[in-house]
This record gives sequence, C-alpha cells and structure tokens, in this order.
Amino acid sequence: MAQQTWENYRQNKPFKPSPLKGIRVLEVCTIIFGPAGPGFLGAMGAEVIKCELPPRGDTMRQMVPDGYFFRDQSLAMTHTNTNKYWLGLDLHKPEGQKIFHELAAKSDIVEDNLRPSTMERWNIGYRQLKETNPGIIYISKNGFGQWGQYAEENRPSNDGAAQALSGYAWMSSFPGQPPLKSRLYVCDTFGALMGEVAVLAALHHRSKTGKGQYIELSQSENIMRIMSWIWPYQQITGKAAMPTGNRDASICPADTFRCVDDTFMAIAAPAPNEFEGLCAAMDRPELAEDPRFKDHLTRLKEENATALLAIIAAWVRTKKPEEIEELAEGYGFAASRVYTSKDVMEDAHFRERGFITNIDDPFIGPYTEYEFPVMMSKSPPRVKWSIRAVGFDNEYVMKRTLGKSEEEIKELYRCGVLGKWADVQGCRPPPHWDGKAGIIMARD
Amino acid sequence: MRKAAKVSKTKQQSWPDWIRERDDPRIAHTKPEALDDITVLDLSYKSFGGCLCSSLLAEFGAEVLRIEPPEGDFFRTCTPYGLLYKGEGLNYLTEGRNKFHITLDVSKPEGREILKGLVAQADVLIETYRPGTMDEWGIGYEQLKEVNPRLIFASITGYGQFGPMSRSRMPDYDNIAQARSEIQSATGEMLPEGKSYDECPWAVPTKAGPWIAWSAAGTFMAVGILAALYWRGITGEGQSLDIATAEAYARFDDYTTIWYQAAGVVAERFGNLDIAGWLYCFAPTKDGAVFLGGLRVEMWQAFADMLGKWDEWGAASWTSVAHFTQKDEQLKWASLVFEETRKYTNEELVRMSIEYAKKGRLAPVTPVVAPMCSPEEAMKDANWLDRGIFIPIQDPLYGELIVGQAQHKMTESPIRTKWVCRPVGYDNEHIYLKYLGWGPSKLRELKQQGII
Repeated sequence: MAQQTWENYRQNKPFKPSPLKGIRVLEVCTIIFGPAGPGFLGAMGAEVIKCELPPRGDTMRQMVPDGYFFRDQSLAMTHTNTNKYWLGLDLHKPEGQKIFHELAAKSDIVEDNLRPSTMERWNIGYRQLKETNPGIIYISKNGFGQWGQYAEENRPSNDGAAQALSGYAWMSSFPGQPPLKSRLYVCDTFGALMGEVAVLAALHHRSKTGKGQYIELSQSENIMRIMSWIWPYQQITGKAAMPTGNRDASICPADTFRCVDDTFMAIAAPAPNEFEGLCAAMDRPELAEDPRFKDHLTRLKEENATALLAIIAAWVRTKKPEEIEELAEGYGFAASRVYTSKDVMEDAHFRERGFITNIDDPFIGPYTEYEFPVMMSKSPPRVKWSIRAVGFDNEYVMKRTLGKSEEEIKELYRCGVLGKWADVQGCRPPPHWDGKAGIIMARD
Repeated sequence: MRKAAKVSKTKQQSWPDWIRERDDPRIAHTKPEALDDITVLDLSYKSFGGCLCSSLLAEFGAEVLRIEPPEGDFFRTCTPYGLLYKGEGLNYLTEGRNKFHITLDVSKPEGREILKGLVAQADVLIETYRPGTMDEWGIGYEQLKEVNPRLIFASITGYGQFGPMSRSRMPDYDNIAQARSEIQSATGEMLPEGKSYDECPWAVPTKAGPWIAWSAAGTFMAVGILAALYWRGITGEGQSLDIATAEAYARFDDYTTIWYQAAGVVAERFGNLDIAGWLYCFAPTKDGAVFLGGLRVEMWQAFADMLGKWDEWGAASWTSVAHFTQKDEQLKWASLVFEETRKYTNEELVRMSIEYAKKGRLAPVTPVVAPMCSPEEAMKDANWLDRGIFIPIQDPLYGELIVGQAQHKMTESPIRTKWVCRPVGYDNEHIYLKYLGWGPSKLRELKQQGII
C-alpha cells in the first residue's frame, strides 16, 4: 500500500540518493527566471555552479520586500538559489572566459538568461562552447527568445512584462476592472520550470545519441502555453476571451466566497457526487434536480452559473470558515480557506510532509523554507543550503573542479577575474558570520 | 584569391539567423524526438494537472496512452461557459495532444488485469485519483512494482499521498489549490480606504484566471518524471512520485515564508505595485496600461530620464532601489509616475524605451516597458505569430485548431504538436492490438462486459 512507500519519507531523506547526482550545471543567470531553473536541478542533486559578476553579483541581491533584508540577505534570492556553489567570475575578461570554458568542458548543462548574443560576445555562447564540449546542453531564457522582431529590437523584459504581453494579467482580473498583476513572479518561476522539462528531455536525448543541443525559452511564450481554452475559444467563436474574477469559467461551481467573519473561502464542486454533496450541505437538495443546474455543461452556461454562485455566496455569508471546511469533508466537495503566509507556515499537514522544512544552514543560520514539491520515494529531492556571499566558493571550485594551484588562484584574483563580495547588504555575509562557517576549502 | 574565398565561406552567420535556421518550430517535424522510447499510461481523472503532465511528455514524442473509464473523463466537460467544439470541451481539446485515447474500467477486476498487462510494457504511469483509491483497486504502486519494478508511478492530488490531510475526501481543483497556496491572499486590489467589500467586490484576494496551480503540479511532475527516468537509467529502479497541487503552486512563492518567519510580516495585497521590487508595476496610460520595470537603479534612473524628470526627481543622487521598495515610498512615487505615463499611449512609451536604449544618457540601459495586451491582441501579435506560438494544428478529426505550443525551441529534439485530441476510446482498436494483440472480436467481448 501507499502507506508503506511513504512511511517516514521525511525522516529517511538523509539516507537516500539524489536523482540528478553526477550532473554538473553552470549558471550565468540573474533575478528569478534564470536562477530558479538551476535551483530546481540543485534540489534534485545536480552540482550547480553559479557565476556572478563580483563584487555585487546578482541583481536579485538588492530586491527585498518593503526594504527588509533577512540577515543582510535578499529573501527571494535565498529562496531561489537552492544547493548552489557560488563563483565570483568576471566573464567580461578573456581569462574569465577561459575559466568558463574549462568548467564547461566538465559540465553537462549551461544556463543563461541574458539578452541574445551577450554570451557570444563574451566568447562563451553556444557556438563557442560546443567546440569545447559537443555534449553540452545549453539553455537561454529571456524575454523574447533569440530571434523575431522583439528580440531584434533588443527589448528588455521582466516577469511583469510577460504577464502583460501574454494576456495572463488580463485574464486574472475582475470584469470591468483593470488587468491585475499577480503578486507572484509567475512567468519567471513557471518559465524556469518549463525550461527544465526541456533540459531534462535533452539529457534523455543525449543519453541515447551523445548529442548536446541548444534550447531557447521566452518569458511570455511559456505562460501562453498553459492558457488552455483561451486560444481555441477565440479562434472558434471569433470573440475575445474575457476575465471572470475568482469564478472558474470552465468549472461550476468553483469560486471564492466570503464567510460571515469576512474571511474568504474557495469552493469547488463540479462533478455529480460533489455537487449533490454541496447541495445537501446547504440543505438545498432540490438544487441538484433544478433544470438549470442538473448537469455540468448546463451549470456552466453564463446565466445558470451566475444564479448558482449567488445562491452559494448567500449561504457561505452565513457560515464560519471552519463550518464550511467541515461540511466539505463530510459531503465530499472541495473547500479551502484562502491561506495567508502565516497559515501555510503553520499548517500541520505541510509540515508533516516535509514541504515546510527547517534548514540548518552554516552560513545564514537556521530558517524555514519550502521543500522541492516533487516527493520521490527512492531519490528524494531536498533543499540543503542556499545563499552565499558573492564569490564565496571560489577556492572550492578552482581547486576541486579545475585543480588550480594556489599561485594560479592568486593570479586570478590579482587580475580581477575572480572576486568576492562588496561590503553592502545583499552581497556580504550576515552580521553574525564568524568568518569561517560554510567555507569549504580553506577556513584558516 | 583562394584564401579570400575561404574566409568569406567561413564568415560566421549572425547568431539570430544561425539559431533560427536550427530551432524554428516550423522545422521541428524534421528532427528526432527526445522521448520516443518512453511509454506513458495516463490514468488522470478530473485533472488538468495530469493531462498537462502527459502532454509535456507527448510533445517530446513519448507514446502516451490516455486511459479513461468507458464513459470518458469528467474533465472533458470542464469547458468555458459549457461550450463544446465538435462534441469536445475546449480545455480537453488543448491537452489531448499527441496521445492515444483508450477506455478501460480499472474498478473491475478484469480491467485491472488488463492494466497490469499495459504496465508491464510501460515506463511511466500518471494518476490523479484520491489517495488510496489505486491501492484499493489493487493497482497502487506497491502492487504494480511487482509487475514492473522499473515503473515510475506518478500521483498528482490535492493533498498528496501522505500526511494528515492525505485521506481527505476533498477533490483536487485549481481554485482550491490557488487559495491554499497563500498566493491568492496577497494578489488583488487593495480595498480603498473607508470602503467595504460590498461596495468593492473586486478588491478581494484574487486568483489567476488560467489554471496555474494545476499547471505547476503538472509541470513539476513532468520534471520529476524526467529526473526519475535519469535515475532509473543509472540504477535500473523505478519509484513512486507524489505531488500535492497546493504545494507545487506554493513553491512558486519567492519571499513571503521568510518574511513571515523573520519579520512577522504577513504579505498583503498591493494592487498592481510590487512590495519586493521597484520600479515594478502596471501603470495607466492614455490608451490602456503598460508594465514598467527598472529593478536596477540605473534602469529606474533611465526611466526618470526618459520622461524628462532627471533633475526634477533628483535621479542623479539615487544609489540603490532598496529604499524605493518601502510601501510609503512606493505609493508616493507611483502617483508621480502614473501622472506622467497617463500623458502617453502604450505604443509611445514602448518606442521611447527602445529609443532610449540607443540614444539616452544611460544607454544602452533602458527601462522595461511592455504594453498590456488582451489575449485577443496577444493572438494577433506578429512577433508571436512569427515565433510559431499559434501555428494552427491540422487535426485529422477536429480540423484546423489553434492551441498554445512551441513554448521552448530546440536544435536537436524539439517538441511538436501532431494532433490535438481524440474522442473517448477512439484508439481502442489500435492500442489493444498493438500492446495485447487483441483484435475486434475480443474487443467486442470486453465492450459487452463493460470493461472498455
């Protein structure tokens, strides 16, 4: 039974292997769209070497909510960069580019999220790296891909630009209100994830053929892929797709309602037994027989959906959230309070599963983080550590991966190819750092 | 002469031309397929997450057998406003791609035995039934690994296979996971001061329109399956994978967990501004709205300069954007910025940004300016059309249909969409013949017994 497979999953993680052991990834990425992908691979056990321009590194290091730094670190930077090694390497310099080639010769995957041709200008583009390593899998993620009008105009992009251009924000608002930006960098993180689908498929292809390849991904295009009914709907009906607020246009009933205490509650009950359960819970069993609501396709029609959701809204308005959740459990429909970050952090279920997990990090100290959300029974992914100061692992990477001598390393520092952090918030170690904790190669 | 000829011959093609020649989606069908050695059984039911997951593998050439109960997947009826096209729901139409559709009643003992026959020949099984259901049917991971120890058994459910909520009777839907993830709570317009929810029913926690939580679950699972395939290549062993939809989507969050635990701050709705970034917002314009991005101080300076506000706003003195992310600062600066953006059209602002990159004081640094598009405008955007996102698929059954595609482009083994969908049980004949060697008379028998 499944219980056997998952028994003590969380507790046994340390004693199991990681699925991507032996894969090395080189990252030249900033903010989220770029770094999140290698972060996912890192959680699955790949060795990720993140190259940053010293001394300030990734732009994300300065991005913090409401001006708040966590032990002098950017919060999102900490979350995004899982299990990486931190190299402060100046890729504008020929010696830096040479080091990059030496690393690429020993790597499986390269990821960048710079504008088209930037890496090529630095002599580390795909065409140059595949001469060094024909098996390399190279992914570039950016706003508009490598070719086409917007790429040619060299337009910069952000997640919010993709939310705007794709129609995602337009479809995520209430009718009559302006398009709404998700508070999430959704095109970044989803795009990064989609990129790893391609990277891992390319790895499979390489295992069969020995061939590496180049992959490009656009911030907007990845989100348009999952906008589902919207495209054929517009083609077939000739009408523009319009937003429906919290109501799901394709599932009925499915909406967010307001409880008696002004908290919010999501409910869904489209399948026959679920809908009957909801009607019974409302003490309105006759609704399940009502010709307007009798089957799912009929319920979904605009006027019927509106009528039904108004009935449910009036009922929820009289209830406490815990009452609704209890009824949902009893009658077999779906309901959930709209969780805040506090609710998620304190949720016993998430904790028991190890999704909310405590990290004991030698560099920034203990903190709580989301685990990689794919639980794998024999090779569990795992967040072990995260952010380091710019250039923190230089010695480790130079010594262990490239076998550089002390003199060579010293020379690389002297000519500014290697560098460490600037003494500013976001780039430097936390205030409590003892000057040693977390350093791998030489602490004295 | 000879030398000169050689030089011109080897003169390097420009990068955009070189790469387009190799990764334009229009030539994808001429290339090999990355996963054409993999067979996937997709038993997902009532789940866009499951269907998307198998689509992502099918786009790479995996042979995906969609296994539905004889009456079909309820998910086929999940279609906007109840609209059907040639008898099919629109969401299902977009995620039936490249799959073979068969029917099998696995709740019947004979159906389970048939499933085991398919499992013996498959690499991956995807399922979305309530935890415990597959076990009760005798086809859970523990039972199927006896049939095929190399099997990768992938489950997507609302709350996952273990933990106190795993035995909940509550089904998995996208809007529920969006609510459970925290992200909805901090997305939406702020309630105007002195107003109530009754007066402003739109100023509430707001979910995303598209099925993003289900998409997160399906895509994370595709990543998990591919990693498990890699691991199987080394060890020869299959395994069981478990995703809870709310966890998959919650993982997209970037900072609210740490913010809460360290500072005790619960993230709240901040409308079209962004509490963790400046310059980073939607701004109103003369004819709509634009996204503005300037996360590095030079980009924020360039934005001020582009609007002719370099001196007035004191841009020369700015050294970091961290200070500007403070809530009060954001509200103050947003009103100044919006006053300016309202003077221009979307197109004017986009052009100003492109020109600034060429001639501005801080060029090539320039702010990000992107027009707000409806999906109708997006679908007509010449850039996306050129990039192959909306090339109509010629489906043998449903005709010419537009679905989102070509989300990544690859030089050696790119994705492609060959057909969009198939009706319930359409491929019974082909698949049962191919995998089990059963012809029409056996199928008639199974149909009479209600098994297929």
